[in-house]
Formats: sequence, structure tokens, C-alpha cells
Amino acid sequence: MNAPTDPKLLERSAALQGLGDSRLRKEDARFIQGKGNYVDDIKLPGMLHMDIVRSPLAHARIKKIDKTEALKVPGVVAVLTAEDLKPLKLHWMPTLAGDVAAVLADGKVHFQMQEVAVVIAEDRYAAADGVEAVQVEYEELPVVIDPFEALKPDAPVLREDLAGKTEGAHGKRDHHNHIFTWEAGDKAAADAAFASAPVTVKERIFYPRVHPCPLETCGCVASFDPVRGELTTYLTSQAPHVVRTVVSLLSGIPESKVRIVSPDIGGGFGNKVGVYPGYVCAIVASIVLGRPVKWIEDRTENISTTAFARDYHMDGELAATPDGKILGLRVDVIADHGAFDACADPTKYPAGLFHICSGSYDIPAAWCRVKGVYTNKAPGGVAYRCSFRVTEAVYIIERMVDILADKLGMDKAEIRAKNFIRKEQFPYKSAFGFEYDSGDYHTALKKVLDAVDYKGLRAEQAAKRADPNCPTLMGIGLVTFTEVVGAGPSKMCDILGVGMFDSCEIRIHPTGSAIARMGTITQGQGHQTTYAQIIATELGIPSEVIQVEEGDTSTAPYGLGTYGSRSTPVAGAAIALAARKIHAKARKIAAHLLEVGEDDLDWEIDRFKVKGDDSRFKTMKDIAWASYNSPPPGLEPGLEAVHYYDPPNFTYPFGIYLCVVDIDRGTGETKVRRFYALDDCGTRINPMIIEGQIHGGLTEGFAVAMGQQMPFDAQGNLLGNTLMDYFLPTAVETPKWETDHTVTPSPHHPIGAKGVAESPHVGSIPTFTAAVVDAFAHLGVKHMTMPHTAYRVWQQLKASGVAL
Amino acid sequence: MEVKLEKRYPLDVDAARAWQVLRDVKATAGCMPGAEITEQVDDTHYKGTVKVKVGPANAAFGGDIEVKALDEATRTLQLLGKGSERGGSTASMDLTATVEPGETPTTSVLVGTAAVVVNGKFAQFGGRMMVQVSDMLLAQFADNFRAAAAALPAPEGVPAGAEAAPAPPPAREINALAILWGLIKNWLAGLFGKRPAA
Repeated sequence: MNAPTDPKLLERSAALQGLGDSRLRKEDARFIQGKGNYVDDIKLPGMLHMDIVRSPLAHARIKKIDKTEALKVPGVVAVLTAEDLKPLKLHWMPTLAGDVAAVLADGKVHFQMQEVAVVIAEDRYAAADGVEAVQVEYEELPVVIDPFEALKPDAPVLREDLAGKTEGAHGKRDHHNHIFTWEAGDKAAADAAFASAPVTVKERIFYPRVHPCPLETCGCVASFDPVRGELTTYLTSQAPHVVRTVVSLLSGIPESKVRIVSPDIGGGFGNKVGVYPGYVCAIVASIVLGRPVKWIEDRTENISTTAFARDYHMDGELAATPDGKILGLRVDVIADHGAFDACADPTKYPAGLFHICSGSYDIPAAWCRVKGVYTNKAPGGVAYRCSFRVTEAVYIIERMVDILADKLGMDKAEIRAKNFIRKEQFPYKSAFGFEYDSGDYHTALKKVLDAVDYKGLRAEQAAKRADPNCPTLMGIGLVTFTEVVGAGPSKMCDILGVGMFDSCEIRIHPTGSAIARMGTITQGQGHQTTYAQIIATELGIPSEVIQVEEGDTSTAPYGLGTYGSRSTPVAGAAIALAARKIHAKARKIAAHLLEVGEDDLDWEIDRFKVKGDDSRFKTMKDIAWASYNSPPPGLEPGLEAVHYYDPPNFTYPFGIYLCVVDIDRGTGETKVRRFYALDDCGTRINPMIIEGQIHGGLTEGFAVAMGQQMPFDAQGNLLGNTLMDYFLPTAVETPKWETDHTVTPSPHHPIGAKGVAESPHVGSIPTFTAAVVDAFAHLGVKHMTMPHTAYRVWQQLKASGVAL
Repeated sequence: MEVKLEKRYPLDVDAARAWQVLRDVKATAGCMPGAEITEQVDDTHYKGTVKVKVGPANAAFGGDIEVKALDEATRTLQLLGKGSERGGSTASMDLTATVEPGETPTTSVLVGTAAVVVNGKFAQFGGRMMVQVSDMLLAQFADNFRAAAAALPAPEGVPAGAEAAPAPPPAREINALAILWGLIKNWLAGLFGKRPAA
């Protein structure tokens, strides 16, 4: 579709508010008026409330649970423990990673605040009082917090339920606290590269445990209708269809009688992908009691128990020539998965897509290994605003390239340009086997370096370093990252055996408006706005009259949901292809109405017109009406289509980020002077929404790099599970963001779009670290562990002898 | 969260009377703000409670105390206390306390070493203040202990010490807001270069 130049055509095109239009978000009208409809807004007649008894200890045997006192609390209806779930075989549940997780602790607690019992009561207050009245006797067991300690031969056995099980979901287990070992790449080739390389660097890079911490916590309202035998559950889920399948498998209720509804979702970021004990218990309680049951997490429960992210201890190595050409990469990871392996990854990939860790670089030999380990911490390991483990992968390669540059005394931009995959190499097959679809890294890098006057910044830095009285240290962080998103091709990616396709159903109404139903679910991404734009451009129907519905499994076609930047790459493609099916039928109808052959028609923005005669045309609105009353003979009436899209490949968005920081030598306070983010997400659907996504992702990245942490003490207490401790930046702390873009469409995607929401998170975190470390680079500092709080940076200032 | 404490409190009471209080677990527990022995199970086992009040919220730790050793010769008491609270916290204390003779016959020193482990909400919310709070609680304990010892009749031949002030009734619950205020006062005092009151 070539862009029109005729003003009349431009006007018609603009009226559609299609691809490339910064139309305002349709969702905001209700959100800014407080008219959203979140799970906690749902109130059903006769609804009961559930609260959870949680373990104060990180590792202990349960000697006794006494619910007598709790049942006496006025308003308490029932108390459930693992013993009550046992007859239903629901005291344990399968995880997405092939492990099992306790729904309610079965004889033993494995992490602090693990679910031990639930109390169901007439109101939320009685439920909380009931929780306090449940008496649990524990016998303390030794606690293992450090994954390296967990792997020692004499380490305490954490998972007694796995005793004697030497085979896990991903191969052999060689230790009682070992979950899996997964490898990618060619070890022999990588070892050979290292054996002969003139220069090598090695560093342990720790990516600390963080939590996605969406503004809305997790929760559900389960409502079982005992007469009809139907279960409806309103649930904060990024993947409602998958939840329906899991609920049906666990409960034995036919999938046709299970309805999962994800209403408005207040942020997910990976936290709302999994199935949590609270959901299962609320559903069981509703089935047993025949009344609706609501469970809503509080903030402390959210941070402490539902899906954390990261916690990777990575040993990175690069081999290179003396002039900085990278010859080989090795990465060896110890991954702390907590008490149960509940990572949300495509089934075959226990470490997600971590093997994208060769980054934007043409590295001939590469190998990585990830070893998953049990500890006495909450389970999770989800993709927090990133495709599966891509954040960790980008972090390790970008840190290692900086370390190599410093060792060789090379400029950090120059070493990147030297190793980039060149434009003409695409599609590029990486040493790990990924096929990068498209990219133009050199052009993007030059654009950023010119925009910020990189040479000028380096000169300023050199001058400041030469001045012993300069009160600040200046650091420049540069990151050139490539993501792999849009999981994914079903030959590689599935969840519980269901291929990771996505779906769209479009129905055009007689008067020319339309409804699109999707297998994804928006959590702030603006799907109701952007999906309509794709249809508008494909079918010539104004965005304004296209309704987008998602999240209700009884109306939407089956889809795998929204996470890992997969909505645009996968569902966006399904929309375009469903629309094209309609477009093909519309052409037949138009040909019939205009009494010409299909080949005699041209498509122009919103109409089919007879070639060479602008006066003879039928708009999509005309065609819609005709499709319901005078379809061509032999063609069925109506105008609708369904498409299930199984992507042929992932998409590979990329970005070039640069950050300048000034560190106060007296206080260790790091001031972000400038942050310049260039993103290339292929075709841009709504530039305003993209910019909003990038601002949000950069802000979350800033939070992770500069303040978020989940410290555990030796007893396994999580010392940072309230928003008093856990850093969520507000407008006060957030730096000013400068955004830019290039456009390199994906060749295999129907509209060339690649996905964008996660790039700013993935890319910005190593950029902040790079900037802070770069401030100390001339003092021989190679790496500093996040978060870069003032106190930690001040400690480095002291250690380097430059504190004032 | 584990905190190790080592404290020495000089007392203006002779060692014999101080030991008389210390060896009586009930009396010793009574000196702890908010603590109370509710039941003696046998010679060495007791049940007790500690009440804490934070604004409108009350927390009551209930638990067991075991006297592991009581040595008259060295005037040493060793006990282990373990308890839990309904709101989701547990605590334990392994304590060794000794009364040592003072520099004069009318004085003594109460020496205590303890390992305190707190888990759950108390560790999460209050962890960073545990050392300071423990310092304040123990200072109150030492005051109460001194008063209890001084209230006992002076042994023959030993002149009565500074026992003029009768023992104040021990506080029946720990008031966290009062502790917080005490902490702020100490912090301010430290800030302006004065010696902390405790």
C-alpha cells in the first residue's frame, strides 16, 4: 500500500485513523473517569471473601493446623487446608515449567509467606480475623537462600516430594536441589575459539531478583453455578484461555462449561501469567460452597509470593582479537528458581530464549548453559516486561562487551560497530540457531551518536577525569541490543502442549461497523486502540467504529495471551490476515455489484473502484450492506473471518540507548543527565502509544537498575515487600526521556511490525549499569551489581578512593 | 533475621540479691516490658506471653521457655524462649545471663548474651530497627531488674544500696510508639553530639 499524495485521498485515509496514526487511546476515557472494571470491582450476589494463612517461616515442617478457633469467628464459613484438598487431588498443581507446586502447604513450607490454609468468610474483615485465629505449629528446618549453597552435597533437601526422582521435566537431575541443566550453542566450537584467542575476559554478573509489581495485584472472583454445572471466574490473567484449559484439566469440568474473564487489568508485566494457589482455592471454595468467592492479594502478598523475575548468576566470557573482533562467547548461569519451578516459558525452553545472548553481534562461536536450582524463596522467574529471559541475555552480553572494550582500551561505540551483524547479513543465523529477520544497526548507532554529540561527551568526560577537583564522576552508558519476541512458531514454542499461535475473529456488521475478538488481553498496551487501526487500514473502515473485545473465553477465539511482546507480532498478524480474508470476499461482492471481473478492480483506501473509472466504486460500507442482502450467487451471506496465526519466525526489534550520568562524589547520588532511546520496532502502528510504551518501559528499567531489590536475610525473611521499601519511581524521581526511531520492517510479518513494549525495559537496564560503571572505568572498575542506590555507589566511591 | 546482643548493665545492688531475682524465672520475666509467665509446666519449662502494641494494633506472642541451665556457683542462667504471634511472626531467644560481682560489695554487674531470631512480619517490617529496639527494651529490662533486686531485703552485713525508690510496676505491654519516640530522642541526641540516654 503506497502512501497517497492526492489531498482528497489523504483526507479519506486520515479519516480512517489507520496504521501510523497517533489516535488517542480508546481505553483512557473510562480509566481517567474511574470507570474501569477491574476484578476487585466485581461484586456478585451472595459473594464470600477469602484470605490466606501464610507461613512466617521459610522452611519448616507443619506439625499441626488447628482451625477450631477460626471456625468460631463470626462470619467465617470455612477453613481449607491441604488435607481438605487432598481428596480432590488439588493440594498440588502442575506448573507451566513441568514441575508441581503446592496449592496449600502439604506437611512442609518451602518459602516465607507460602500458602498454608485459606479462610472463607461472609466479609473481608471476618476472613482476616479468621486467618489470625488459625493455629499452625511449625518445626523449623535449615533455610537455604543462596543457590550455590543449595548445590553443595550436604545441603538440606528442600523438595522431599521429589525424593529419588533423578529425571526432571528437562532431563537429568544430579542433586536433590537441582532442577535442570539446559545448554545451547556449540561448546566444542566455543572452547576452540577461547583456546586460540589472544584476548579473553571473564566476569560474574549477578542479575538480582526483582518483582514486576503491577499497580493492580492478582485476584479473582470464582462463581460456580451448581444447577448448570458452569464455572465462571473473573481473573487477573494475561492468558485467560490457557487458564481455562488448566482449570478444566484440574477440575474435570468440561472446557465448554468453564468461562474465564479477564476484565480490565491494571498492569501485568509477567506477574499475571501463571496460575496461583489463591485462584485454585477460590475456585474450589466456590464449587464446594456453591457461592461466588472473591480473593484479592494485598501488596505485601503480591511482592512476596506471586511471580518474581530474574535472579540469575551469570559467568560471562568473551574471546577476541587484540583489535576487538569478538571470536567466541561462553555464558554459564546458576538460576535461582525458588521453591517450585514455576517459570513461565515455552515448554521446551526452561531458560526461555536466553540464548539470544549473542546480542547484536556477529559472533562465530557461542555456547551457554543454565542450571536451575531450588531455594527457600517464592517461585516464579517470569518474563518481567521482556520476552522470556531476554532481559538477562541482553544484560550479560552488553556488560561483557563493555568489559572487553575497557580491557582493550577501545571506545565502547567503536567496539560495537566493529562487531555488529551488518545490514546485508540479514536474515542472519546466529551461532545459537536464531534467524534474525531484519536490522540496520550501524545506521541506528550513527543516528544516536550524532544526536547526542558522542565525541563531545567523551571529551567532556576526559576533561573531568583529568580534574582532581571535579565534584562529580561522569559516566556514559551505551547499549545496542536486539530482542527476540513474538513467541512463537509452534514447531518450537508451546505451553502445556498448546502451540503459541494467536487468533482473531472479525465480523463486519450490515451498516459497516465491525467487531474484532482476540485471543490476547490488554493490560495497558492499548489493544482496543491499535488493533482497530490495523483493521482500518486493511479494510477501509474507520477505527472509531471498530470494537475490539478480548479476555472473555466464551466469546473470544482461543489465543495464548499477552506477554513477551507477542501481541503485535502474533495477534497483530492474525488481525491483518483475518482482515485480508474479508477483503478477498469483499472484492468478490464488489465485482458482483459493479458487474465487472475481480481483476478489473483496484483497492483504494476504503473502496474498490473499477480500473480507470473513479466514478464507479463500492465502499466497504456499501459492500457490508450488500453482503447481508445481495451476496453474489453461490457466496454465503455475511462478512466475517477467523484467522489463527502461527508465526513462521520470531521478530527481532532492536534499539540503541545512551545514558549520561553524573555521580556526586560526596553522596554517591547518581543523576541521570540525559537518556536517549532509539527503538526500531519495524512498522509503527500508533506512534503516540509507542512513545508511551517506551516511557513506561524506561521508567521500569530505571526502577530495576537504580532501586528495586528483594533482600533476604539468612532465615529467608524477605526484607522489602512493601512499597515503603520496594522502589516504584514517581514523576519526582524519573529522568527526562528522549526518544527516537528508525524503521526496519520485519520481512515475514504481514504488516512488518515487530513489537515494542518491552524493548525499553530490556535495553535501559544495562544502559544504566553501563553508565554508572563507566563513571568508574578509569579507576579499574569492571562491574557493579544493581541496584545502583546512592549508598552502594558511595561504597564504590570509597573503595576506589575518590569519595569526597 | 538474627541479632546477637552482648550487654553489661552495672547494678547498684549486691550480687546476691541480683542473683535472687535472676534465678527466679518468673521474676526475671516480669522485668521484661510486656512479658509475663502464664504457666509453669515443670521445673524447667514455662509458658509465657509478650504483648506489643503498635498504635491500634495489638500483637501477642505466646510461647515456651525452657531453662537449660541454672548454675548457683557462677550465678548463671541459660534459657531458651520460643514463641509465635497470630499475625504471622515467630521469635526465639537463646539467652545466657550472669550476675558478676561489682567493684564494691554493694554493686554487681548483670551480663547477658543473647541470640534473637525473628521471622515473619516483625522481621519484615521492623527488621532494620531491631538492634535499636532491643537496646531500648533491654535498658528498660535492666531498670526493672535493678528495682526488683533492690526491693528485696538487704542481706546481713551488706549496707543497703540505692534502694530508696520502690520498684515501678513493670509495663504490662510494650508500646511500640513509645519505643519509637525513645529512638527518635536518642537519634536526635546523637545528632547533636550528646551521649545517647540509653
